[in-house]
Amino acid sequence: MSIDLDRRNFLSRSGLGFGSLAASYLLNAAEVTNPLAARKPMLPATAKNIIFLFMHGGPSHLETFDPKPLLERLNGQPVPDSFGDVQLQFSTFKSVPILASRRKFKKYGQAGIEVSDVFPHVAAHADKLAVIRSCQHDGFTHTAALNWLNNGWPRLGRPSVGSWVTYGLGSESENLPAFVVMLDGGIKSGPPVYGSGFLPAAYQGTVLRNGPAPILNVQPPAARGSANQKDFRELLQWQNQQHLTARGDDTDLAARMASYELAFKMQMAAPELADIAKESDATRKLYGMDETGTAAFGGKCLLARRLVERGVRFVQLWSGSTTGGGDWDGHAQCDKGIVTMAGKVDKPIAGLLADLESRGLLDSTLVVWGGEFGRTPTSDGSANGGGDSQGRDHNPYGFTIWMAGGGVRGGQVIGSTDEIGLRAVQDPLHVHDLHATMLSLMGLDHEKLTYHFQGRDFRLTDVAGKTDLAARLRT
Amino acid sequence: MQEPKKTTPSRGLQFAVFTMFGAALSAAQQPAVAILQKQCGSCHGASQMSGFDVRERDALLRGGKRGAAVTPGKPADSLLLRAIKRDGDLKMPPGKSALTSKEVALIEAWIGVGAPWDSTAAKTESTWWSFQTPKLPAVPLPRNMKWVRNPIDQFVIAKLEDKGLKPVANASKLSLARRVYFDLHGLPPTPREVEAFVNDTSPDAYKNLLDKLLASPRYGERWGRNWLDVVRYADTGGYETDVLYSNAWRYRDYVIRSFNEDKPYTEFVKEQIAADEIWPDNLDLNGGYELPKDKLANLNRRLGTGLYTVGPMAVEYTFFGDQYRAEWQAEAVETTSSAFLGLTMGCARCHDHKFDPLSQRDYYRMAAVFAGSEDREIPIVSQMGVFEYTRYQTRLVIADQIKERLMAIDGRKGAKRPATPASKDERETLLRQLGDAYLKAPVMFPKASVLAHSEMVPDSHVLLRGEFKQKGEQVSPGFPGALGVTAKITEPHRRKALAEWLTSPQHPLLARVMVNRIWQGHFGRGIVATSNDFGRQGDAPTHPELLDWLAVEFAAQGYSMKALHRLMMLSNTYQMSSEPNEANSMVDADNRFLWRMNRRRLQAEELRDSVLASSGALNMKMTGPPVAVPLSEEEKAGMRDPTQWPVHPDVAEHNRRSVYLYVKRSFRLPMFEAFDQPDAVASCARRESSTVAPQALTLMNSDFMLKQAAQLAERLRKDNSNDPAKLIEAGSRIAFGRAPKVDEAKRAAAFLERNDLAALCLLWFNTNEYLYVD
Repeated sequence: MSIDLDRRNFLSRSGLGFGSLAASYLLNAAEVTNPLAARKPMLPATAKNIIFLFMHGGPSHLETFDPKPLLERLNGQPVPDSFGDVQLQFSTFKSVPILASRRKFKKYGQAGIEVSDVFPHVAAHADKLAVIRSCQHDGFTHTAALNWLNNGWPRLGRPSVGSWVTYGLGSESENLPAFVVMLDGGIKSGPPVYGSGFLPAAYQGTVLRNGPAPILNVQPPAARGSANQKDFRELLQWQNQQHLTARGDDTDLAARMASYELAFKMQMAAPELADIAKESDATRKLYGMDETGTAAFGGKCLLARRLVERGVRFVQLWSGSTTGGGDWDGHAQCDKGIVTMAGKVDKPIAGLLADLESRGLLDSTLVVWGGEFGRTPTSDGSANGGGDSQGRDHNPYGFTIWMAGGGVRGGQVIGSTDEIGLRAVQDPLHVHDLHATMLSLMGLDHEKLTYHFQGRDFRLTDVAGKTDLAARLRT
Repeated sequence: MQEPKKTTPSRGLQFAVFTMFGAALSAAQQPAVAILQKQCGSCHGASQMSGFDVRERDALLRGGKRGAAVTPGKPADSLLLRAIKRDGDLKMPPGKSALTSKEVALIEAWIGVGAPWDSTAAKTESTWWSFQTPKLPAVPLPRNMKWVRNPIDQFVIAKLEDKGLKPVANASKLSLARRVYFDLHGLPPTPREVEAFVNDTSPDAYKNLLDKLLASPRYGERWGRNWLDVVRYADTGGYETDVLYSNAWRYRDYVIRSFNEDKPYTEFVKEQIAADEIWPDNLDLNGGYELPKDKLANLNRRLGTGLYTVGPMAVEYTFFGDQYRAEWQAEAVETTSSAFLGLTMGCARCHDHKFDPLSQRDYYRMAAVFAGSEDREIPIVSQMGVFEYTRYQTRLVIADQIKERLMAIDGRKGAKRPATPASKDERETLLRQLGDAYLKAPVMFPKASVLAHSEMVPDSHVLLRGEFKQKGEQVSPGFPGALGVTAKITEPHRRKALAEWLTSPQHPLLARVMVNRIWQGHFGRGIVATSNDFGRQGDAPTHPELLDWLAVEFAAQGYSMKALHRLMMLSNTYQMSSEPNEANSMVDADNRFLWRMNRRRLQAEELRDSVLASSGALNMKMTGPPVAVPLSEEEKAGMRDPTQWPVHPDVAEHNRRSVYLYVKRSFRLPMFEAFDQPDAVASCARRESSTVAPQALTLMNSDFMLKQAAQLAERLRKDNSNDPAKLIEAGSRIAFGRAPKVDEAKRAAAFLERNDLAALCLLWFNTNEYLYVD
């Protein structure tokens, strides 16, 4: 594989004074023990990388991608009995009235996909989108739902999707983390949603920030200038080499030396990644980086493209925060919230799709947009949740996710919810199926991607997951 | 164990039959169930051909694609019987392998009496090695008896001779000193300690060192931390609310104390599971301000039950009382089975264990042991003490009133009255009064979270597919039959029976599992490498006889863990070096048979503690509430609410040993996470030891490391003026326990010409020699 050759070249050029024997130990160690070495997919793959755009809080499908005209007619009325009952977090479904959407929907693209007026820029790419309106699971609280979408299971302790993908495929990037996460602030259930669970720590998401030191601890302290950095590296590795020589055959020790070489490379690669000075004004504009409202998410989308360009396997972008700046959790004034939040991400996401396409990266990059659940067709008039008559409660029983790129045929709508947008009725897609599909597009068999833990072979999709959607998405 | 005869309405008839015929029937049913498993199980077991599965009664009755297979009481109406009699379209088993007429008759009779099913009976006779009580094996007589220091060595070298392997030479005294200090204390020896041991030429030098280290409280901190991994300890509940368990630390301190006191392991187990039932602490109130001694002793034991109050808990479980209870019980079963039994019972939550003879019924019978128990906060001072603590709570009443008034003045959300104008002076005065009221208010009396009995004991059921809403057969408390041991439950003391069952001298697993954990702690890998799984999916023991010998010896030594450490560490096996040997590697590259010692990387907490010890900043204070250390803004990334990270105002606290730091389930300390600290969601059998670049970045560039490097530089300068040679020698002794070699000193001196001493200190912390124990 080309990666191994590169590594061999790097080491022979590194000039650190290793004996040839030691260098071969190092190489073997790196090959044997590098958990992120690129691996061939199990199945024919149409996508090499994933960019997962995560709208934290639960974006309303009813205000974005799933128009329900019946809501307007029933506005203010109780839910007709025919729709049954569901468990919600704050409101009692049968006691709150239907809430109409104020958004205007229009048909876009050749396929005529209906999208609301909060996503005009994304809608312009309608023919790239496969909009799945029938997603579902049963986690009606944020943590359960966040864990469902990100870890495939409502409880804590499972590896995230990004961890499974990098566990399955390794990374094409030698000097950047394989699985990168860009946050908007705090997450309602904290970092386990991008954690590696019971998988080794090598597969956990690495948080990337804006600025010259995008990765935690990647920047050498100012106290040690670049000349010192060279001294430090040479003496450290010399010292380690003495230690290794006296101990002969220990691949762990050699692997740790290799990990320091990688760390030194990351220290150089990370500022280069973050340095967007060379990006043209037109590109920045495309991502909305010239406008205050969209600059932040636009910058993240641009970084996402740069990461994918550099071979990073899995990139997750978060919109919505628990520590300021708002989120998609529309318990109060749902419409107002959607307008604000969509306003921050619409142009950047559209820019990302356009830029990936123009650089020939969209074919191999699967872009997924969604959140932990959708919203109820009813108002969240509950007293205990802080919701109001213009808010909507959590709805995991039917919501929308869309995909683009990565071999997915755009311009199609898959599945539907019932007439009020409460439950997925046609072609329901459980989160297990969604994950099985994502893995399948990446060339991973969700039934074979297993890890033995606590007496059992665990999978991202537990004991479920169907992949028939993957075929439909591709054709 | 006697199965209490409870019935559910739907199963009334079947159980009536069961009861009427009693023992005679249970003998008759077993062959029928066993025949079905044997003759049909290969197609209609895990592979569920035609959707038919004979492994559970419900599934058997339900049948497969062809509909119901068995109608209890009506053999003639049962498709199963027609198929095995081969008198219809369906002839089973297919081909020529028909059942004998005797087998058919047995099954017919069995359906006739209602197809009774006792899954424990069906699976009781397990021949699996770890389910048999360990017996004292003969100690082998190897050829090379000269190498032997104690019986452990006889087992090990006999195996080596058998495999054609040769033990390597013994470790140097320096290596050995580092090894024992890290293994027992999780801290490096100081230069003086190394010197003392190296220069002590008395024959008992090594033994004396072990005794000294085992007697130090540092031992409990290190081995207590190992146990906390096994019981998934954390200070918060995780999930969205990540609630603070404000008394969890009392359990953590209980664990450390128990190791330091060398509490017999069986007692340690009993206390954690059922101290309240075995040693009741609701004694009389004699004693006034002081707790009576016996009550205090029993309260201290009861802190052990805190084990079951510090698990993960999600807010959504509280939506349904049944679910909250079911989740708590499930967590209790899984932690109990992993920690004490070394079995993975988690599988049986949803279906019978596919590999071990543990049925779903076993799982819920074990869950029923915890039904009727709940966590409770109790005062750990005398009643008089409670009164003392609470008598000045009027100050808190005042504080609340001042807060109310301040909120009204400020027009804050939540104020009960609208904003009222007030002078600046009034606001200032109120703030002062508020501070004063809080300062003088009594702290809440000391409490602990422990197990207690709830007001009512809920019925227990098998939960189909593990879902709390899908109640199956009602079950009574009990223990997996396959393990052979029995214990009598005297209501309401169910946990007491569990504790007695586990600690019964005949129990096949308890001693083996713990002996194996301690072995793993010293040799890097257990005799059974999967130390939480002694079942069929686990690894086979490399030295089965040694494991049994140790388990029997453990019991003979009164389950003393310190005696076990001593035994293992006094063996020649433990004192080998970790040097390579090509010939041995050709046969046993992974060193499964212990021809040398395994080298290991420091664990996350050991690493942090070592760096603090080297820099001289380590604060040896023991016990007390958990300490949150400062984090940079970058390090806090993703935390839901930074106010849930209460940084201790006293900086000296930030340098406490890692076992005393705040363990937040939804947010691990970034340095610990990088170095494989487990996530505290489930029992951790053995830590990963990964090698990834972010570890290097953490050690080279993090605030903590830079600070400690500067601290070490300062320490060195204070003791050695500014002479580079002296600084390098002193630093090398602190970091590695040895003087620098000539070329090392030369290169370090050259480095110091262009770089400051702190950079060299940081470099030492980053070396493999610092990070690994030979």
